[in-house]
Amino acid sequence: MTAMTTTAMTVLPIPDETSAPFWEAAREGRFLIQRCPETGRYQWYPRAHSIHAPHATPEWVEASGRGELLSYSVVHRSNTRGDPYTCALVRLEEGVTVFSRIEGIAEGSLRAGLPLAVAFHRLDETISLPIFRPPSIAGGSDA
Amino acid sequence: MKYLSGKTAIVGAYESPRRDAPRVHPFALQMECILGALDDAGLALTDVDGLCAASGDWAEGGGTMDVIELAEYIGIQPTYVNSTDVGGCSYILQAGQAAAAIAAGLAEVVVISYAACPRWWPLSTPSFDPFVFPAGPGQYEIPYAPTLISTYGLFARRHMDLYGTTPEQLAQVAVTFRGHAAANPQARLRKPITVDDVLASPMIASPLHRLDCCVVTDGGGALVMTSRERARDLKRRPVYLAGYGAAVARTQNSQIPDDLTTPAALSGPRAFAMAGMTPADIDVAQIYDAFTITPMLALEDLGFCGRGESGPFVEAGTLAADGGSLPTNTDGGGLSSNHPGKRGIFTLIESVRQLRGDAPGIQVPDAKVALAHGLGGTFCSAATAILAV
Repeated sequence: MTAMTTTAMTVLPIPDETSAPFWEAAREGRFLIQRCPETGRYQWYPRAHSIHAPHATPEWVEASGRGELLSYSVVHRSNTRGDPYTCALVRLEEGVTVFSRIEGIAEGSLRAGLPLAVAFHRLDETISLPIFRPPSIAGGSDA
Repeated sequence: MKYLSGKTAIVGAYESPRRDAPRVHPFALQMECILGALDDAGLALTDVDGLCAASGDWAEGGGTMDVIELAEYIGIQPTYVNSTDVGGCSYILQAGQAAAAIAAGLAEVVVISYAACPRWWPLSTPSFDPFVFPAGPGQYEIPYAPTLISTYGLFARRHMDLYGTTPEQLAQVAVTFRGHAAANPQARLRKPITVDDVLASPMIASPLHRLDCCVVTDGGGALVMTSRERARDLKRRPVYLAGYGAAVARTQNSQIPDDLTTPAALSGPRAFAMAGMTPADIDVAQIYDAFTITPMLALEDLGFCGRGESGPFVEAGTLAADGGSLPTNTDGGGLSSNHPGKRGIFTLIESVRQLRGDAPGIQVPDAKVALAHGLGGTFCSAATAILAV
């Protein structure tokens, strides 16, 4: 993976007690989401409680990493170096929606419903940031 | 909330004509606006016992104790304060809460004030802004560098995919409001534009072009509210708060609902229920227009058109003061008149002017009921006021 696509991603996430398992798994190239132990329903983003049963503690499960493009916006003018880049909402197979970046698709080819798969950019020794690409090139992960 | 309907009134309103205020601290601009609104009402600073402000955001001059900082600066010790910050519609929410405070006897004369000077403000966005803070929920989004405009772009793109909305329909919103701004000598941009002009302007964050985006100006405004009884004795025709509603929804992009419902779908019905009215009762509307998609979603959530129908609705010229059935953003709105950052107060001020018949530009004849609606952040919050004379 070239550094080109990561130049705008200079703000590192601040992991906490709740999110530590997510970022640990991301370092290993696995994308975790949360599931409610009482209702079996998934949730994103991760929280210390289940939004479906507020007294329950969610459990971590590995998502398939596959999904489809729900919506996107290509940023042409921003205060961040590295544009254009594509911000997107991705609907995971498990039914939750995540916000991420899309890479590996020309702007003119972007359309809702495109199949996507997760890949990871290793930003430093603790943070590997998930992004999404067409499944055919998702193996290019540098996590 | 029905008991609150008509219990209070806006008795003074002032919008600064400034669009550039170089080296003017936002508190100094607020003082201009507060004195302007009090003069309009025929009241003095010593009459004020309530202060509403949300002045702790970027380019607004204050910090986390903004309402104290502002009270100190202007030199009053109000017994009722409210600094609830829900973004651009904060001042509409505060008007509703001020009405409750007045009706409950917490205050008699409440000033709602706002100013910001983004054109010269030298400091960067504070690290506690939820749109830059990469901790908690933001740790899963901020590293991807979303911009405010790209999030509106996500809404606009999905609206196009779900409902067939076109870039031309989005552009028509900007064209219509520019037409209104042409008559407003205070408006930042007054030269008429075409749909083609909008589509030919540079892409900022797809599908939004530069002319799909609001202007960035310095500016400010203030309102004075009091009880129905006290309002009768003052010099201007009272503009009664007939209806009010507010709601909050989300800050994270991952929580955007599939069908793009925004919290306006809660604030609007609450306001109409309190007023005992429906969208058909509205003579003139001021609807927050940070971007062209912004008022379109509001029109759907407020019930002026059906879900997904805002494209054809705006394309038909419905919002135009000249011949449209719902004259909207008669001052030119944020797209053409002014947008210092939290434009909600101007939707109230222009509503008051329309109902009193003293608008600076286009004047809708014989308007009796006005709707002022705003949102905060990226459809994160919403507040709706229905004003009547």
